[in-house]
Parts: sequence; structure tokens; C-alpha cells
Amino acid sequence: MVALLEPAVVDKATTLETLLETPAGKRMMTCIQCGTCAGTCPYGEHMEFAPRLVINMLRGGFIDEVIKSDSLLRCVACYACLAKCPRGIRLTDVLLPLVKEQVLVTRTEIPAEFQKSLENMHRYGNPMGESPRKRAAWTATAGTKIPILAEVKRTVDVLWFVECYPSFYARGQDNCRAVAKLFQALGVDFAILGNEEKCAGECGQVTWESGLFESLAEDNMKLFKKYQFRRIVTADAHAYNAFHFRYPMFGLTQPAEHTTQFFARHLDQLKPRLTRPVNRTVTYHDPCCLGRATGSYDEGRALLQAIPGVKLVEMVHNRVNSICCGGGGGGMWLDTYYKQKGMERLSERRVREAVATGADVLAVSCPYEISRFEDALKTVPHDKPMVVRDVVELLAESLA
Amino acid sequence: MANATQSPLPNSTWKPRIVAFFCNWCTYTAADLAGVSRMKHFSNVRIIRLMCSGRVDPQFVLEALAKGADAVLIGGCHPNDCHYVEGNYKCLRRYQMLKRMIADMGIEPERLRLEWISAAEGEKLKRVVNEMVETITKLGPLGLPQKFEQWDREMEEFANHVAARDAAAGGGCAEHGTNTQPLETAHA
Amino acid sequence: MKPIVPKKNEPVRIGFYICHCGTNIASVVDVEAVAKYAATLPNVAVSRTYKYMCSDPGQELIQQDIQESRLNRIVVAACSPLLHEHTFRKATEAGGLNPFYFQMVNIREHDSWVHTDRTEATRKAMALARAAIQRVPHHKPLEVKKVGINPNVLIVGGGIGGIHAALTLANAGKMVYLVEKEATIGGHMAKFDKTFPTLDCAMCVLSPKMAAIGSHPNIHLWTYSEVAKVDGYVGNFKVTVRRKPRYILEDLCTGCQECVNACVYKDAKFADEFNLGLGKRKPIFLPFPQAIPPVTMIDPEVCLNFKRGKNPDGSHTVSDKCKKTCVEACGDRKAIDFKQTQEIKEITVGTIIVATGFQIFDARRIPYYGYGVYPNVYNALEVERLINASGPTEGEVILRNGQVPKKVAIVHCVGSRDENTNRWCSRVCCLYSLKLAHLIKEHTHAEVYNFYIDMRTPGKGMEEFYNRIAEEGMHLIRGRVADVYPDPNDGATGRLVVQAEDTLTNKILKIPVDMVVLATGLEPHPEAESLRRMFNLSCSSEGWFLERHPKLAPVNTFTDGIFLAGCCQGPKDIPDTVAQAGAAAAEAFALIDKGHVEQEPNTAYILDDCCGCKSCIPLCPYTAISFAEDTKKAIINETLCKGCGTCVASCPSGSIVQNLFEDVEIYSEIDGVLAEGLF
Ligand SMILES: Cc1cc2nc3c(=O)[nH]c(=O)nc-3n(C[C@H](O)[C@H](O)[C@H](O)COP(=O)(O)OP(=O)(O)OC[C@H]3O[C@@H](n4cnc5c(N)ncnc54)[C@H](O)[C@@H]3O)c2cc1C
Ligand code: SF4
Ligand code: SF4
Ligand code: SF4
Ligand code: SF4
Ligand code: FES
Repeated sequence: MVALLEPAVVDKATTLETLLETPAGKRMMTCIQCGTCAGTCPYGEHMEFAPRLVINMLRGGFIDEVIKSDSLLRCVACYACLAKCPRGIRLTDVLLPLVKEQVLVTRTEIPAEFQKSLENMHRYGNPMGESPRKRAAWTATAGTKIPILAEVKRTVDVLWFVECYPSFYARGQDNCRAVAKLFQALGVDFAILGNEEKCAGECGQVTWESGLFESLAEDNMKLFKKYQFRRIVTADAHAYNAFHFRYPMFGLTQPAEHTTQFFARHLDQLKPRLTRPVNRTVTYHDPCCLGRATGSYDEGRALLQAIPGVKLVEMVHNRVNSICCGGGGGGMWLDTYYKQKGMERLSERRVREAVATGADVLAVSCPYEISRFEDALKTVPHDKPMVVRDVVELLAESLA
Repeated sequence: MANATQSPLPNSTWKPRIVAFFCNWCTYTAADLAGVSRMKHFSNVRIIRLMCSGRVDPQFVLEALAKGADAVLIGGCHPNDCHYVEGNYKCLRRYQMLKRMIADMGIEPERLRLEWISAAEGEKLKRVVNEMVETITKLGPLGLPQKFEQWDREMEEFANHVAARDAAAGGGCAEHGTNTQPLETAHA
Repeated sequence: MKPIVPKKNEPVRIGFYICHCGTNIASVVDVEAVAKYAATLPNVAVSRTYKYMCSDPGQELIQQDIQESRLNRIVVAACSPLLHEHTFRKATEAGGLNPFYFQMVNIREHDSWVHTDRTEATRKAMALARAAIQRVPHHKPLEVKKVGINPNVLIVGGGIGGIHAALTLANAGKMVYLVEKEATIGGHMAKFDKTFPTLDCAMCVLSPKMAAIGSHPNIHLWTYSEVAKVDGYVGNFKVTVRRKPRYILEDLCTGCQECVNACVYKDAKFADEFNLGLGKRKPIFLPFPQAIPPVTMIDPEVCLNFKRGKNPDGSHTVSDKCKKTCVEACGDRKAIDFKQTQEIKEITVGTIIVATGFQIFDARRIPYYGYGVYPNVYNALEVERLINASGPTEGEVILRNGQVPKKVAIVHCVGSRDENTNRWCSRVCCLYSLKLAHLIKEHTHAEVYNFYIDMRTPGKGMEEFYNRIAEEGMHLIRGRVADVYPDPNDGATGRLVVQAEDTLTNKILKIPVDMVVLATGLEPHPEAESLRRMFNLSCSSEGWFLERHPKLAPVNTFTDGIFLAGCCQGPKDIPDTVAQAGAAAAEAFALIDKGHVEQEPNTAYILDDCCGCKSCIPLCPYTAISFAEDTKKAIINETLCKGCGTCVASCPSGSIVQNLFEDVEIYSEIDGVLAEGLF
């Protein structure tokens, strides 16, 4: 339903002052103040300045008041406002980040957890502050040799961009092992960057710090230029989003794919090998960065339906109307802050819908969601057990 | 007019000259709509109205180029929409033939463009005009009148050269003469 | 005034006029400079500028100059020839010249309105003027051809627009063919209970008009029929109409419906189209009680006397498996005919009125409103039927589970004003939403919440209507609904939550309601595209039929003799539809009354130089060219030629000439527009 977003609507140099002069900014002049954006925003009721009002304040010359407020700390970059806006206004990825950047610059107190992860990204190239030298450590547990680009010294077909959560978190590594298993089953010619890889920086961009994003993007681009590969595949919906929309501005020419898209494209080859039944009722959560941002709703579902035994059921809010897990736009590190402000955790809101479907498995396709939903399941009451699995993990499980 | 073939005015930067043949029912009306909607576009395209794109005689296109146009744009109704049923198909066929012909003359294919623009597509008209002006600006002047002059001169020189050489070789035609090899070029 | 016929060798004397068009042209084009430039060109005897050339004094200026300065050619640089060529030809003629000694230069639509740089725009105007000045000496005196007009009229679409136009013309004594694709006329209006702004009963005003159509001696009503083909041109269209079989002989059926009662199906169990599936009907049924014609029909997809499924050609096969109690009940009237097949009718008409209306937006295209998912989400047309006393619930507003809603949300702008669906404002939804709010409240005493973006109530009596409804105590909330979902606290009842920002209080509302009404917008019929092709019309980019001029020719099309009425041209309410239908009828009548049309003399003819190669013959789409065996030359039948010029461009010996577009005229234009120094 949502019009496909054009990647380059603003260039890197656009600021809040120059925004209204750009084509994306001119669109903002057409806002009819209908409030769909505020009405659909998962935290809209907690915002003194929801997107609708932000636009009007900007147009009226009162944007400073918005910057002084902490309203936009509550935006989780879920793309809901953008997807439903009847004027096709680029809120989530153009207007709001520019405002947020100013909020960060002018605000004196920044929630500590959030501040820390930004610093970590600066210093270590990952938000958890792990040692970059341990980034590829998980490969030891992969059960197969994971080639590293610096070592293979030739053109590979797929550069697998692993990203931070899958690299360092135990549950993320499950995802990695599953991807590796599937790559091997398909005979994919792939390699990873290993310890050289740095966070793709999507949160830096869509959240606050365009400077941070730029430095991470430039570091990664140096690597991309150094090696030869035909496409990037990543299991992280956020990294995919960054490669799809932003990296081309920094010179990325190879196409990027999310793992669900990659495997859906190879479904014909994969399907005969999916023989082990997974007799479960599964409900699928659309990650914002994949669904609303790029219109990729069908791939995850197609993969699930290819698994023998899987019964797919939908939550009340699905596809374009999906509810965010609350982890985007920096929300990942703002949970404590949201709690202080008396705001409901979105992951809990989402998990309640999942539980209501009666499913056994909540399938996801973004590494943030695993930990968020598993946490939420600890607090949301449910009679029947429910587990959280990445679509790719379920695929690997079904592989004979 | 003789002066139509002269080089651009002194001090003026070169601008492409494009002649457009638009059918009355769709594309000419689209240009009117672009006007009513105040869709600004480049002023280098000069429109000549015909009843149907089927009226576009290939000779019109060649004449325009010969008279100093840098490019020609033909506009008609979308397939199945021609006011006269199928004039646009006839036009399409002539256009394809013209394409080959101008390619043979060493003229870039971008200099001839055929577009189906309906009466409702003011926006498309604007886009096509702007694109075309940009493309032709990049290509630079065609200068066919000047080229014609130059070709005439070359042909004359060549003829003189052949005549002189034939005279030296004792004359005669390639098919009968002794010195066939270099003469082949003259017959080609 | 004495007609001036320039003699063969008389020197060409051109009068050149450039119009300021107020400031429309003059603010961008330096008209004085153009006039000065034109004065320097060969053959130009007079060169003037004038504020409004199309005004009476402007036209008189031309006439006076022709007489006083012995002009014999006229060039006017002004707006588009599609707008005023006719005006200036008339002025030329009034001055005593043949009207075709005139040429127009378009420097408004093609110049001042689309360019901003004064120098460039002025140069362009000069070049275009030069082209015309070089062209016009080659003009020849021509005569306008007159062709007779068939007085019969075809009207396509039997909604209120088509009905009104048909009655207007039939009452004036014209023969009308009214073709409607459904089994009854009435269109959307027949589905409404009341209409805004007066809240008068829709059928009370519509059914007498429908009945008049059914019984009018001058109207051939063909329902359940479609136009299959249109040939010819203004004054003389040949139209093929396909009448689909309804398996009832219209002339014999009295509308008693005894067959319906007698049908072996005791209960009505098939979704009834007229009630949008909210009610049920039998295999044999009357579309709705006041249907015109009041004739039943059989649905072969479900009637037991037919085999299931269609044949490849779309027809159905009789199985003869049913007891046919319907036939028994029909008795001597013998109106039921299972063997009926489609019927092809060919008619000739002089003018056509297209009044095919609209369809409502399919709300499934906005998934977050839950239409088609939650049973308590309705579209507005369904609610019109629920409210209607002759509807499926006999006027009771009840939900699918039989309950009366206590809280109702009406969502405005569904599928309108939205880049993701339809961009336009559908114009009637705010008003019909207010109407529905009133009617729902009246029928159920429910609390009604109208969620709107902007309340649009233009038109006579409409703001007063808004005022009246607001006074009744509706909740009018300024905010577009962002989400509709089952109430998490109350799953079993089917209650829904409507979520939106109240933009005037800056609050997010989550209102639990029993019923959601989607004010779906108006959009063009998908078949409009094939109609457009058939009638050679144009469509706006949205798909509405395009009028010839938005202000000055709102019911005309670019095809002479074809007119538009009602919502097929764009969203509008009933008063505007009827006004437009009247205008379309008047336009058709004016043509018929005049008795003939004047045809542009742009036909082609073949010179004696014709070498007899016959290449032109197959090219003519109107088979106007034939080969004269005696002279061994091709000849063009002038009455058949439409003046496309295709043959002219193809003649290898250059022996075909198209009047008004002669080769020499076009070559001089090419030379003119390429004038040096004017780019
Ligand atoms: C929910 C709703 C409520 C409304 N309430 C009001 C109101 O209260 N007051 C008011 O003034 N306006 C109201 N309107 C607007 C009103 O419906 C229109 O103004 C009016 O119906 C337009 O009439 P029409 O004849 O142009 O089109 P239609 O009513 O759409 O009639 C067109 C007819 O053409 C037929 N047709 C279509 N295609 C073909 C074809 N190819 N061949 C043959 N026949 C064809 C159709 O079957 C139909 O019978 C309302 C609209 C809606 C959607
Ligand atoms: S949804 Fe779009 S048009 Fe509506 S208020 Fe928000 S930004 Fe403006
Ligand atoms: S992106 Fe999501 S969280 Fe951010 S303002 Fe829009 S709707 Fe709200
Ligand atoms: S043939 Fe039978 S099923 Fe069909 S309409 Fe008659 S009685 Fe009903
Ligand atoms: S001008 Fe067109 S319509 Fe007339 S004879 Fe030639 S081809 Fe036929
Ligand atoms: S009338 Fe437009 S192409 Fe024939």
C-alpha cells in the first residue's frame, strides 16, 4: 500500500534549516495536519509534540520549542507515521532525525544507558562496548569454517554483514549459526568481514547522531572498497535499511539484501531440503525496517509457509499496520527511561497480541526483537508456552 | 532563409534548437494543458501542429535537421488512442525507418524522439521536453547545414582527385581497367 | 461588407496582431518587440499589439484593417488555437476575407505560461510568429463542409445523470436510446434513503423519473446492456449495443413476481447485489422493488435449470433439471425463456451523452481500517442500504449480529486526499457523512463520532446543513483515523476501537464503538478505460473523463458530438449531476436543432501527378481512397476523408495535398521556427 520510498530524497548535507528547501521539505509544506501520524504513533499519547505538530511548528518557525522538549526521545523510528501519511511525507527517516539531532545537541541530560551505547559505538564500533577483537569469536561455534574476506583474497558472491547483536549476543549467535548452515546447504560463496566489521550505524542515523553514523559508514565503506563482492546480505533489518537507503550516498554500489529476502529468492532450491517438520503455530512480526520501510512483507511469510508443519496465523496488527517492538531509533537503550516516564513497553504490547493468536512461536526477522520479545514474555502472562525464533532459525531447524 | 543556417549569434551561448511535430488531439493538447497548469519547461522546443502524427512526413524531419534543428520531437496519441484510429502506428513505422536513416548519416539516435503523450499528460510533456533539451545540450550542436557544406566540398575534392588519378592512369572504369584496386573505393 | 477575393497576382498583405491577454502574455513576452520584429518580415503590412484580441474591439480592429489597409492574410499571436482559432476566423470572415486566410500563433499556453525568462520567451514568440507569417501566404480560400445530423441520441448510463438527460431530450421530441449495464436504471441514487442537504426522500424524487423513462414513447430503454462498438463521427455515429440475456422476455413480463414466489427455492439464499450482499434473493428476482423496467431476471449461475459455470463464450447451458415452478406460475404470460441469448442491436445516432457515473473506493485498499476483516466495519453505501426502508433490514440500522449499535464512528476521507490511494477530494463524502450521522442517530439514538480532516461543505444550503447536524450533538473530531482494531478489553462482542489524534485538543483518542462506517470516496469505473477508447475520449490522469475545457466547455469532450454528464467526469453531488445532465442535453439538442455540423475543411485530395502506385489506399482508416480504373489514379472521397493526413505523408510522388496542412505550409513553418538568433 505504501509507496516505495525513494532512497535519495535528501542529501547528506541537509540540515533542519535547509530542509524546507529540499524536495522532501517541500512535501512537508503540503501536510494537511490530519494527525494520522500522531494517531498511529505507538507513543503518540506520550508526546507533547507528535509528528503533526512538529511539522506545523517547523513551518511556523517555532521548531526551537520542539527541540527543547523531550518528545522525540520517544520516537522509536517505526515508520508507522510515514507509511500512513496521506501526503507521503518523509517523517521517520528525514524530518524526525534532523530534529532529534538538534535535541541531542541542545539537551543537557541524556538518558545514561543511551548515552553509553552511543559512546560505545564511537569507541568500539558496537553499542555494547564489547571488544572489537572478539567480533568474529562466534565463528568458532559455527560448526563449519566461516571464511573471512581478508583471508580468502578473491571475489566472493556474498558479503555477509553479521552486525553487532548477532556477533556478540548468545541468542544472536544462534541466528548466525542458522544462516551459516543455510548458506552451506545452498552452496553460497560467502565471506564475512570478521573483526574489521563495525556497526552499520543505522541507529546513529535514524536516531540522533548523523556524525556518528557518518564515521561508521565511512569506516565500513573503506572495507567495502578494499574487497570484492557482488552483494551484501545481512540478518539485521536495521543494517539492511542503512545499506539500502543511506550507504549508496557514501558510494555503496552493490545491492543489499536481508537474509529473509535472500532465502526467499532461493526458495525453490531450499524448499526440497526443508524436510524436517516443525509442527507449530507461528505468528510473524514484521520488523519496521523491513516491512514499512522497504515494503518487504511477503518474504518472511513465504519462508515460514515453506516449512512443513508450520501453521501461520496473523496478529491483529500486521504488515503495514504492525506494532513496533520498541527497539528502533535508539529505543533499544531507552527502556529504563521510558519506564521512568511511565510508558508501556512496546515489546509487551506486541507480545500480548502474539499471545492472543494462540501461537507457539513468535517468528521475527530482526536480531533486536529476539531479546526484546523474550524479555517481554517474562512479564506478559500467557497460559501456553511461547518461544521467539528468527525465521532463519526455523528454516535451519527444518533443514534435514 | 539563408541566415537560418549561420552559426549562433556572437556572445550568445549555444542552445539546442528542437522542432516538434505534435498531433492536434493528444500531444498538442497536452502542451496546452502544461500551459494551463503553468508547468515551466525549457523554451527551446518549437511546436508545429499537425492533425495527426500520421501526417509527419519523414521529409519534414529531414528538412528540419537540414534547416538547422539539432533534434526533432514527434508527439502523438498513445497506441489505440489515435483520433484517426491508427495514424500513430503509421508514424511509428516511419519513425523506425527514420532512425535507421539518420544513423546511417552518422546522426546520434537521441536527436529523433517519438513520444506518446495523451491530452491529460501535461506533466509528461514537461518531462519529455526538459529531458530532450538536456540530452541535446550534452550532445552539442548537430550543425547539419554546415556539415552539408563540408560534405559538398569533400565530394568535390574527391571527385577532382579521382578524375585527376584516372586521367593519370589512362582513364577507364574499374570493371574494365587494369588498375581496379584503388578504384573500388570510388564505386563503393 | 464586400468579400475581398485576392487576385492571383495581388501582393500578399499580412496583418499581424499580438495580444497582451491582460498580463498573461505581456508580463513574460515583450509584445511590443515581437510586433516590431514582425513588421520587418516580408509581406507584413500591419503589425499591432492589443490588450485583448478576442474582445469585440480586438476583432473589430482586424476587420477594420482588412478594409482600410487592404489586408489579405491575418496572423494573430495569442492563446491556443484550440480556444480561439474559431473566433479569429470569424473576425477574418467578418472583415470580408475567406476565414482560412488566417493563422494563429500560440504564445500563451506554449510560451508565456510555461517560460519565465523574458528574453527567451520573447524570442520564442518571434520565431513562432515568423513561422505563421511565412506560412500564411500559401493559404487558400476554403469552404466549410456541412454534414447533416441524425436527430437520435444515445445515452450511456442510467443513473440520475443519464435519466435526467434522457427525459429532457425525449420530452423535446428527440428519440433517445438509453443503455444501462445493470438490470435496472437508477444508479447510486436509487440506493439512498434520504439525500443531503434537504434530507428529502431519494426515491420520492427519483422513482417518478424512472417510471417516466420506462413508459416514454421516445425512449428505448435497454437495461442489462452494453455498448460494444462505436463507429462514425458527429452527426452520424453507428453504435452496436449488446443486450445480455436476462432469461425473461421484457415485453411479456408484467412484473407480478409470481415466479419469484413460486421458485423451488423457498428461501432467498443468494447474496443480493442491489443490497451489496447485505440481503438475500432467489435465482429469479426483481433487482429491487421499484426497478425500472419492472421485470424480473434469472441468475443462471444459481438457477437449477442451468448447468453450473459459463461456456467459453460467456453463455450458459440449460440443464432442464428443475421442476420450473416459476414457468408454471408465469402461466399464459410465457415470459420466462431459458433459451434467451444475447441480442445485438445496431443503431445510428447523431450525438452521444456519456453518464456512466462512478464506483466507490474499495476500502480493503486501506488495510488498517479493517474493512472485509471485521464484520462491524461497513462502507457508506452499505449503510445507505441499512437505513433505507426498502433495504435488507427494512430501515433498521442493525449490525450483522442483529444488535443495534450504541456507538458509531464515521470515518471521513477513506481513499480520498491520500497519496497512497486516490489523491482527489471526493466532494460528497463530508456531506453524506453528516447525513448518515443524522440518520443513524435518528434510527438508533446511538452516539455518533465523525472523524474528519477538513469539513468540506461548499454549495448552496450545505453549510446550513452542516450547522443543523452539528446542533444535533454529533461528536465532530478533527483528525484522520489512524487505526481500527478489536477492543482488547472486549473481544467477544466484536466491538472495535477507533484511534485518532484530535488535532484540536492535541490528544490521542481511542474510542470504543460498535460500528465503523467508512466514508469511501468516489473513483472512476475500471471499465471507464475501455469506454474511453470506444468513444475516443480523453481521461484525466485519475481516470475521470476529460471535458473539453474546465470552464468554458465543461460537458463537451474532445470528440465532437459526445458529451459528459455526472460523476463520470468527476465527483459531484446530485444537484450538480442534474445540472450537468441538463447542459449535456442542451448541447446535444443545439446540434440537432442546427441540423448540420460544420467540418473543418482539412481534407486531402489527389493531384493529377498521381502515379497510380496505390500505396496510399490501404493506409486510410476510413477507406476514403479508391482507385479509378479509367484514369489509373487514386481518388479521395471527400465526404469520407477525416483529414488525418496519413496518406499525404506516404505518397511517394508527393501528389496528395491536405488542405490547411499543405507540405509547403509546413515547410515554411519549419523554416520559420528555426529562425536565426531566436533561440
Ligand atoms: C454513499 C453515498 C451517498 C451519497 N449521498 C448523496 C446525497 O445525499 N445527496 C447528493 O446530492 N449526492 C449524494 N451522493 C452522490 C451521488 O451518488 C452522485 O452525485 C450521483 O449518483 C451521480 O449520478 P450519476 O448518474 O453521475 O452516476 P451513477 O449514480 O453512478 O450512475 C451511473 C449509471 O451508469 C451505469 N453504467 C456504468 N458504466 C456503464 C457502462 N459501461 N455502460 C452502461 N451503463 C453504465 C451504472 O450502472 C449506473 O446505473 C452520494 C454518494 C455516495 C457514494
Ligand atoms: S500524517 Fe502526514 S499529512 Fe497528516 S499530519 Fe502527519 S505529516 Fe501531516
Ligand atoms: S516513527 Fe514511529 S515512533 Fe517515530 S514518530 Fe513516527 S510513528 Fe512515532
Ligand atoms: S427454474 Fe427453478 S430454480 Fe430457476 S428460477 Fe425457476 S423455479 Fe427457480
Ligand atoms: S487524409 Fe486521412 S482520412 Fe483523408 S484520405 Fe488521407 S488517410 Fe484517409
Ligand atoms: S491523432 Fe494523435 S496520433 Fe493520430
